[in-house]
Amino acid sequence: MNGLVEKKIKRYENLLGEIWTASEKYLGTFSVKLLVERVVWDLSQEYREIELLHFDESGISCAEIAASMKKNPELSVDDMFMKFIARYVEILARLIGHEKTEKIAKKLNKEFGNIPFNSKEE
Amino acid sequence: MDKLKTGIKNLDGILNGGIPVYSLNIVSGSPGSGKTIFVQNIIFNSARNGLKSLYLTTISESQFKMVRHLQEFEFFSDDFLGDKFIYGDLGAVLRKQGTDEVLGYLTEMIKKHQPNILVIDSFKAIRDIFPDEKTFKAFVFDLAAALSIWEVTVFLVGEYEEKELTILSEFAIADGIFHLYGQEEKRFQKRYLRILKMRGTNFEQGEHLFRISPAGIEVYPRIKPEGKELQYEVKPGKKGFGITGLDEMLSGGLTEGTITLISGGTGTGKTALALKFLLEGAEKCENGLFLSFEEPASQLIDNARHLGWELDKYLADGRLDIKFVSPIELDIDKHAFEILDMVNKNKVDRFVIDSISLFESSVSDIQKYRDYLWAIGQQLKKRHITTIFTVLNEDLFSPVVVTKAQISLMADNIIILRYVEDNSSIKKVLGILKARGINHNKDLREYEITPNGINILEKLDKGNILR
Repeated sequence: MNGLVEKKIKRYENLLGEIWTASEKYLGTFSVKLLVERVVWDLSQEYREIELLHFDESGISCAEIAASMKKNPELSVDDMFMKFIARYVEILARLIGHEKTEKIAKKLNKEFGNIPFNSKEE
Repeated sequence: MDKLKTGIKNLDGILNGGIPVYSLNIVSGSPGSGKTIFVQNIIFNSARNGLKSLYLTTISESQFKMVRHLQEFEFFSDDFLGDKFIYGDLGAVLRKQGTDEVLGYLTEMIKKHQPNILVIDSFKAIRDIFPDEKTFKAFVFDLAAALSIWEVTVFLVGEYEEKELTILSEFAIADGIFHLYGQEEKRFQKRYLRILKMRGTNFEQGEHLFRISPAGIEVYPRIKPEGKELQYEVKPGKKGFGITGLDEMLSGGLTEGTITLISGGTGTGKTALALKFLLEGAEKCENGLFLSFEEPASQLIDNARHLGWELDKYLADGRLDIKFVSPIELDIDKHAFEILDMVNKNKVDRFVIDSISLFESSVSDIQKYRDYLWAIGQQLKKRHITTIFTVLNEDLFSPVVVTKAQISLMADNIIILRYVEDNSSIKKVLGILKARGINHNKDLREYEITPNGINILEKLDKGNILR
């Protein structure tokens, strides 16, 4: 695994951390954890590696996913994380409403840019 | 906020569109109060909208018994079983694995079936298995959080007593509480539903009547007078009776959109006068509705014929409609709602209730009767429907009491019909006690009911009639 992919995963880890913090405000830590658990379960049918995402009350870690990249360098990290974020935002919007989700998305876009947050259902 | 439409007659109206999705609702009531049918009616209606439900029982009915009972209802369809209606036995998990495994089992079932609705029947049974209140409270909190994340609308069914609704922890976390109960009232065993709480939507508070029919649950929303002052436009038009002398006394007729009480003893012709009012409207192409609690339509038509009035033509073309509700069947909670529904549907211009005295006798709570009548009156005025309520005055020779329940306060116009003794014979006199906005005639006029209709005669030459 090259340094570029490592950097990329780190960036996603930061982004997920920010999403966690931002949604905690509306859902509370316990429910955010449950929501991440649900999205991991939803996505695990397509990407087994997402089950390596570590999360608890203290936050979220992608260290195990980064480690697994050594065994499976073909994994499309961008696709997996983008689908994770899209699914998370989609459910979050249904739970707390589009307006509040858009607010979170706007803030994250400012910090991370180029992340296609779309809280509206397809 | 998205809503789950219950599809139960009139319930979505009470809930301002339905139950907010992903909410956790408790359906409480004593055994036999209709909780299970209530929830099952909702889930079968939802199945028709493509929604899937997971129905988990604890110690309640077995699936076999449930299906057997359900097939009596029109909402039931066995096509949904195993597809949109998944049945599970939570009781077995509780008995074999204990309370620690409940949440895990629920999550697994949700992952497996991905339902839109989850029902636990009975939730009270789960509470009873937990060792203490603290542990149960933690479980309820975790359950509520987990289920909302899975975007499931939840119904927890339980045999709770009314006093428990304010003290048990599950009611604190619930978004919605439906309480169902029965009550013996006069000649009816009645079922009522109250929504004690519903986060995320406005709802009609108070006691709503419901009944369980072959179609399922039917709710009759509580009708209550509006708290705010009634604002309505007074129309200048007049609606006459087509009885020359009476219309003259009223300077042309009753003011459009007002409420009139016709009070009188038995046999004074209240019904005939009210019927003539509708017939006159029908002849002027106005729609009329006669709601009778005393005589069936056939009898009214026959009586009208004896007065020279032919109603058939107008009944056939829909200009006139007579609805009869037997006094034995009269249930104010149900019929008050249906009256407004009928009036709206028929686009009625003239409306008669004959008589409100029977309406009164069907309730044990006189305040409830007043509230209903006020509410009906307000709605009729808002819709500019010119209305007559007939009232039976049981004291044949006393005109002073118009109604016992002070309903005369809501009337714009009051017409009294009474017997007087004159030279050893009984005569009938008619007087107008009140006619809002009209400089009405104050005389007491004799009248007669003949095969050619009602004739208003001269002022009776007799003093102290009202004494």
